Amino acid sequence: MRESVDVLIEKYKNNLFVIAFNICKNMQDSEDVVQDTFIQYISLKKDFETEQHIRAWLIRVAINKAKNKNMTFFRRNIVPLEEYMETLTFESHESSELFETVMKLPEKFRIVIHLFYYEDYSVKEISDILRISESNVKVRLSRGRMLLKNTLKEVWEDDK
Amino acid sequence: MTNKEKYKQAFSTMHISDEFSVEVKKMITTNKKPKLNRLVASIAAFVLIVGSATMAYATDFCGIQRTLQLWIHGEQTNATIQFDGNGNYDLNYIDDEGNSKHQGGGGVAFDVFGNERPLTEEELMEQMAAPDVVYEEDGSVWVYWFNQKIDITDKFENNICYVKLENGDKTLYMTVRYENGYSTSPHKYIIP
Repeated sequence: MRESVDVLIEKYKNNLFVIAFNICKNMQDSEDVVQDTFIQYISLKKDFETEQHIRAWLIRVAINKAKNKNMTFFRRNIVPLEEYMETLTFESHESSELFETVMKLPEKFRIVIHLFYYEDYSVKEISDILRISESNVKVRLSRGRMLLKNTLKEVWEDDK
Repeated sequence: MTNKEKYKQAFSTMHISDEFSVEVKKMITTNKKPKLNRLVASIAAFVLIVGSATMAYATDFCGIQRTLQLWIHGEQTNATIQFDGNGNYDLNYIDDEGNSKHQGGGGVAFDVFGNERPLTEEELMEQMAAPDVVYEEDGSVWVYWFNQKIDITDKFENNICYVKLENGDKTLYMTVRYENGYSTSPHKYIIP
């Protein structure tokens, strides 16, 4: 199946942006990543099995592009994370603290945590998207949670 | 509130800018793919490509359209090309599956004094004849150059791959950085 790119943009642009931001940590690069991801979608002749397949593909491509972005020789004048955070309106101090703490996690924990807590993916699905083993996902998830708990204390519950 | 709810609340405050959809849809309706990265990677050090593919797409192409044969993905393909005289080109061709393809690009060069000038038609043509690196969705990586198609998937070490290309009496030493462009030299591999 193929889904209209207009529909996909409206449906997933923000999710892909947040995922890219989790890796790039700046707005401009993250927007470039989302744009490149949709362009890759329209350039690809591939048929997808389901819409979930398209969503997972978009996320995987965005993650890869964001990682590549971080490796490029030329970077934009990056707005520091703290400065960008000042433009965001958090619902509570806890939300702001959680956001900041997540952004300070090592990248490999951050992206797994994000796919689990924000995109509602299972360990198996995350392992398919990132092409790493399920046990690796579990380890990253567990270490990421531990780091969040250490900093956030009571704001972050113990969960499995 | 569960951790998931807290997490979603914290990150749902982020939104892509309002202009994003408009810009991307504009690119999509023109059905053009950016070609600039390849130009940036392969052009000589004193030449710098600026702007974006979108800029090239927005340009009015009023130059003379001509038909020529180009090697595209290892296939000799009839294409029509139009240069606008400002360092931009517009290319149309039918691919091997019968799909109409459209792409554009362009760039500028800087001389030793820092003065900017548009790339000439010859320079743009030279770039179009340069090798193409394609990353397939199955993870394989291919280099296309004239009628050659080389699988370099397993040749990367620390994200760098060195490939020697030969076509007749022409030899190119190519350094590919994984998903991050490439450079070529007729004399030796360029160390990234």
